[in-house]
Amino acid sequence: TQGKAHSLVPLCSPTLLLFLYFKNEAVCVCVCVHWCILCCVHADAGETREVFQKHQPTHVIHLAAMVGGLFKNMRANLDFWRNNIYINDNVLQAAHEVDAVRVVSCLSTCIFPDKTTYPIDETMIHNGPPHKSNFGYSYAKRMLDVYNRAYHDQERGRFYTAVIPTNVFGPHDNFNIKDGHVLPGLIHKAYIAQKEGSPLVVWGSGTPRRQFIYSLDLARLFLWVLTEYQEVEPIILSVGEEEEVSIKEAAEAVVEVMRFKGQVTYDTTKADGQFKKTASNAKLRQYCPNFTFTPFKQALKETCDWFVANYDSARK
Amino acid sequence: MKLCVCVCVCVCVCVSVCACACACVCVRCCVRALLRACVAACVRCCVRALLRALVCILRDAGETREVFQKHQPTHVIHLAAMVGGLFKNMRANLDFWRNNIYINDNVLQAAHEVDAVRVVSCLSTCIFPDKTTYPIDETMIHNGPPHKSNFGYSYAKRMLDVYNRAYHDQERGRFYTAVIPTNVFGPHDNFNIKDGHVLPGLIHKAYIAQKEGSPLVVWGSGTPRRQFIYSLDLARLFLWVLTEYQEVEPIILSVGEEEEVSIKEAAEAVVEVMRFKGQVTYDTTKADGQFKKTASNAKLRQYCPSFTFTPFKQALKETCDWFVANYDSARK
Repeated sequence: TQGKAHSLVPLCSPTLLLFLYFKNEAVCVCVCVHWCILCCVHADAGETREVFQKHQPTHVIHLAAMVGGLFKNMRANLDFWRNNIYINDNVLQAAHEVDAVRVVSCLSTCIFPDKTTYPIDETMIHNGPPHKSNFGYSYAKRMLDVYNRAYHDQERGRFYTAVIPTNVFGPHDNFNIKDGHVLPGLIHKAYIAQKEGSPLVVWGSGTPRRQFIYSLDLARLFLWVLTEYQEVEPIILSVGEEEEVSIKEAAEAVVEVMRFKGQVTYDTTKADGQFKKTASNAKLRQYCPNFTFTPFKQALKETCDWFVANYDSARK
Repeated sequence: MKLCVCVCVCVCVCVSVCACACACVCVRCCVRALLRACVAACVRCCVRALLRALVCILRDAGETREVFQKHQPTHVIHLAAMVGGLFKNMRANLDFWRNNIYINDNVLQAAHEVDAVRVVSCLSTCIFPDKTTYPIDETMIHNGPPHKSNFGYSYAKRMLDVYNRAYHDQERGRFYTAVIPTNVFGPHDNFNIKDGHVLPGLIHKAYIAQKEGSPLVVWGSGTPRRQFIYSLDLARLFLWVLTEYQEVEPIILSVGEEEEVSIKEAAEAVVEVMRFKGQVTYDTTKADGQFKKTASNAKLRQYCPSFTFTPFKQALKETCDWFVANYDSARK
């Protein structure tokens, strides 16, 4: 429940606080064994501090943010900038004050410089302005890296760090067509188009390219970063460059997995966003050469099956 | 026009002086010199404006909002920041980042909420990318990480440009903008040797060295190069930006590239102006900071081809004379 803080499970150490995004409010949710579950609003410094003081986490996975797809970002750069800066400041400072030893925050490949060479890597984050469609969000996320360096610089070598996933998808996503990301948006549209016997309309030309990472794979990697990765510098968590697909190919995969029989059209009056964001996972491969990602169509199928089975309760 | 000039309030000391409907406040940052210069410039220009300097704790959103609501400014010159020279920055990047982000957010949002039509904020050439070509210009601000010695301050200042673009983007085309002065100096500066900037630091050191008959010790090698702008010149340009400059993109306010001097040349100028007769030495165990930050004032020259800067030695002399005459009360 928004605004209420309650712990569910007595803690074993290490104590982990997991902050998630929920209905445009940054809330803290902790799940599973050994961890503590909390809900509170993190745009407020006082409430954030209170929650951290109460639960005394030693490790924090910071996933809280105001997020949205291309079209939502384009309308509200100021709000994306300000809200995310406040959330990040509150969480990191509260974590520092309770002497949490690790905070792993979450960046995104969409924050990289718009004019750049490819593939992008972890050293390039600040090398130019981001794409103008979401510069508010992008700069706020980039500043997480600044926070991490500053805490390390000033506060007795704190090792707070960040990961950079590519496009995440999976069960429990936000399937809202207007505000969600591209894959859940396509899944939802295909579902409706199927029901109504109407075309599946893909926004944009279908040519932009993306690397998609399954949420369950990302979660496994997050835990590895939390416990094993010892750098302040961020790390890209992604499938390899060779796994990059176009939006058109992603739409076709959704059509196949959902067995959509209708027509697929492309509304080119809608913006495409960044053409590509090809990221190198060389650093990850150096650390984890044997990590195996779930094959894309299998992951997509699991996501679509979940959405269909949970349509009524899914966020949309 | 109802103009507010935002400055920081020193936590432990707050002094108000009223003159001609202008309120001046005691500030921790070197921009008090600019504030006085702005006031003087306003009076000289006979601008019929209600000028109030805001006395508030700008790190607090509620207090900031309250002050803006009370005074309803239409125009804001935002000079408030946590600032310091090289050595202070190197010790406190986190504090510089966080405090300045809070100040900037509070001022801009409060100004927006009272529908102020213009906010002119203040960036700095020290925030530009460390690895860059020269001269730097207004388009290059975000093209790479800043110098590591002051990255906290630098990123916070860069984000003022992000704020301006975001307000313009989301809020019915707001024209909030920023200026980028090079190193400012002048009367009323912060002459603290440890925390102040290079010129006032040199002036203060020369004063003490003169009194004590000791050498003037310049920190660093003396080789880094800087463009210096006199606070009274900067104030005149600030008022021009506030009333005439119609872009969201920032603008560099500086003397030309050919006016760039080394720290050694600046020290020698101080020695000459203060008639210091002792020895001058260079403590190379101290950090130099960025080697150069040469900035192009081509954009300014396009807009104001006839603007005349006060000659450097004349400006330096006026500053030194002021410091000597006001030694007891000068911030140091």
